[in-house]
Amino acid sequence: MGSGPRPGSEQTLGWRHLTLFVSRLVVRCQLSPPQRALQVSAVLRRVSDEQKEPFVSSSQQQFDSHPTDHQPEQEPQGPRPSYTGQGGQESEDYESEEQLQHRILTAALEFVPEHGWTAEAIAEGAKTLGLSVAAAGMFHSDGSELILHFVSQCNTKLSELLEQEQKLVQLGEAEKKPTDQFLRDAVQARLRMLIPYIDKWPQALSILLLPHNIPSSLNLLTSMIDDIWHYAGDQSTDFNWYTRRAVLTGVYNTTELVMMQDSSPDFEDTWRFLENRIADAMNMGNTANQVQSTGEAVVQGLMGAAVTIKNLAGLNQRR
Amino acid sequence: MDTSGVGFDYAGLRGRWPVPAGRVSLRRCSTRVSLEGVNRPVIDRIIRVDHAGEYGANRIYAGQMAVLGRSSVGPVIQQMWNQEKDHLKKFNELMVAYRVRPTVLLPFWNVAGFVLGAGSALLGKKGAMACTVAVEESISDHYNSQIRTLVEEDPEKYKELLQVIKQFRDDEREHHDIGLEHDAEAAPAYSVLKTAIQLGCKAAIFLSERI
Repeated sequence: MGSGPRPGSEQTLGWRHLTLFVSRLVVRCQLSPPQRALQVSAVLRRVSDEQKEPFVSSSQQQFDSHPTDHQPEQEPQGPRPSYTGQGGQESEDYESEEQLQHRILTAALEFVPEHGWTAEAIAEGAKTLGLSVAAAGMFHSDGSELILHFVSQCNTKLSELLEQEQKLVQLGEAEKKPTDQFLRDAVQARLRMLIPYIDKWPQALSILLLPHNIPSSLNLLTSMIDDIWHYAGDQSTDFNWYTRRAVLTGVYNTTELVMMQDSSPDFEDTWRFLENRIADAMNMGNTANQVQSTGEAVVQGLMGAAVTIKNLAGLNQRR
Repeated sequence: MDTSGVGFDYAGLRGRWPVPAGRVSLRRCSTRVSLEGVNRPVIDRIIRVDHAGEYGANRIYAGQMAVLGRSSVGPVIQQMWNQEKDHLKKFNELMVAYRVRPTVLLPFWNVAGFVLGAGSALLGKKGAMACTVAVEESISDHYNSQIRTLVEEDPEKYKELLQVIKQFRDDEREHHDIGLEHDAEAAPAYSVLKTAIQLGCKAAIFLSERI
C-alpha cells in the first residue's frame, strides 16, 4: 500500500459516508436544491429497482392515470452529472429535482381518493414509479405540495382548453360565445376537474387555507381567474380590471363550496347555482351603469337649479 | 404563427409554487405580442407605471382646460392634451397585449390629476405652464431611465416597446419646451411649485410601479 492512508481510517471513512447518506434519506435536509437534487435523486435511484421507463416530463401526462404514455423528455437546461455505473443503465438526461417531484406527485394523485391528501398517497405514488417509499420525505407531511401541484395542473389544463377553444373560434370553426356563457362554461370545466377527488376536497381546501400555503394558493387562484377573463376577451385597463376579477373570484369560490355539499345527480344544483351567480354578476355591471347615469342626471338637475337660482337672484348678469 | 399544441412546459417553471401556472412566459397567446422569453416583472412595471403616467397627464390637462379652456392658452393646452390622449390609447393597447394589470390607484390618480391641473390653472396661465414644465420634465427623465433599462436588457427583443417609449419621450420633451416658451418660469413661486410637483410625481411613479 505504501504511503497511503491507514487501512483502518479508510474503513471508518466508508462507514461515515454510509451513515451520512442514510441520515440524509431519512431526514429532510437543509442543503440547497442543486445539492439535494444530486443527493436525493442519486440515492433514490440506488435503492430503487431498475428503471424501466425513460424519464418523462410530467406535463404531458393525464393527471388521473399512470404515466403510461412516454413522450420524449424536453431537453432540460443545466449541468449533466453522470450517474454511470448504476447497474449498467446510464441516465439519458439529467432530471431536475422539480421534474422528479412533479412525476411523483402526479402519480400520487391516483391514490388520493383512498388515502386523502396525505404523505401516504405520495408514498404510494412513489412506489408506482419504482422509487422508494422514503421519497415522500421530500415533501411536507401535510400534503400541501400535492394539493398545490394538483391545482396547478388543473389550471394548466383549463388554460389549454381555453386556448384551443379560442383557436377554433379564430379559425371560424366555432361560434364566439357570449360572455356569460363563456364564464359559465369555463368555471364549470374547471370545477368538473375536482369531481374525481370531491370526497377529499374539503380537506384540501382547509389545507390550502393554512397560513404558509396562502401566498401560493392565492397566486394560483388569481392567475386562473385572470386567464379566464383574458380568454373571455376582457380588455379593460381601468378599475374594471379589478372589479371583474374580484366578482369572478367570488363566483368561483362560492360555487366551489356549493359543490362540496351538492348531492344531486351530476351536480346539477351546482351548475344552476353557477348560472344564477353569473347572471347576477352580469346584472351588476348594468346596475353600476344605471347608478352612474342616475347620478349624472341628478348632478345635471342640481346645476340647472343653481343656474336658475342665480338668474332669479340676478347674480348671473355680466358685468 | 402560433404553433398548436405547444402545451405546458414544466421545465420552464423555475422555482417553487409561487410561480403561478397561468403566467408562464412560454405559453403563446393570440395577442399581437409574443410573450415568449419576456422579462415579465420588468415589463409589467414599465407598462403599468407608464399607463398610470399617461392617465394622470390626461387628467392634468383636463383640469387645466376646465379652468383655462377659453383663455388664450386654451388651444395650446388642447393640442398637448390631444397628444396625451394618443399616448394613453397606445398604452391601453400595450397593456392588453402584454397582459399587464393596471395600478389599483387609478381612481386616485383620476382625481389627483384633475385637482393638480385645475389648481395650477387657478394660479394663472403661467402657473399652468409651470405645472406642465414640472410634470413633463419628470416624465421625460422617467422615460429615459426606462429606455436605459430596456436597452440594458435586450434592445432587440423590446424593439417595439423601445420605439414607443422613445417617441413619447420626445413628445413630452416638446411639451416641456412649449411650457417654457409660454413663460412658465415667470409663474408665482415657480421653484417651490416645480419642486413640490416633481416630488409628487416621484411618489406617484414609485407607488404605481408597485401597487
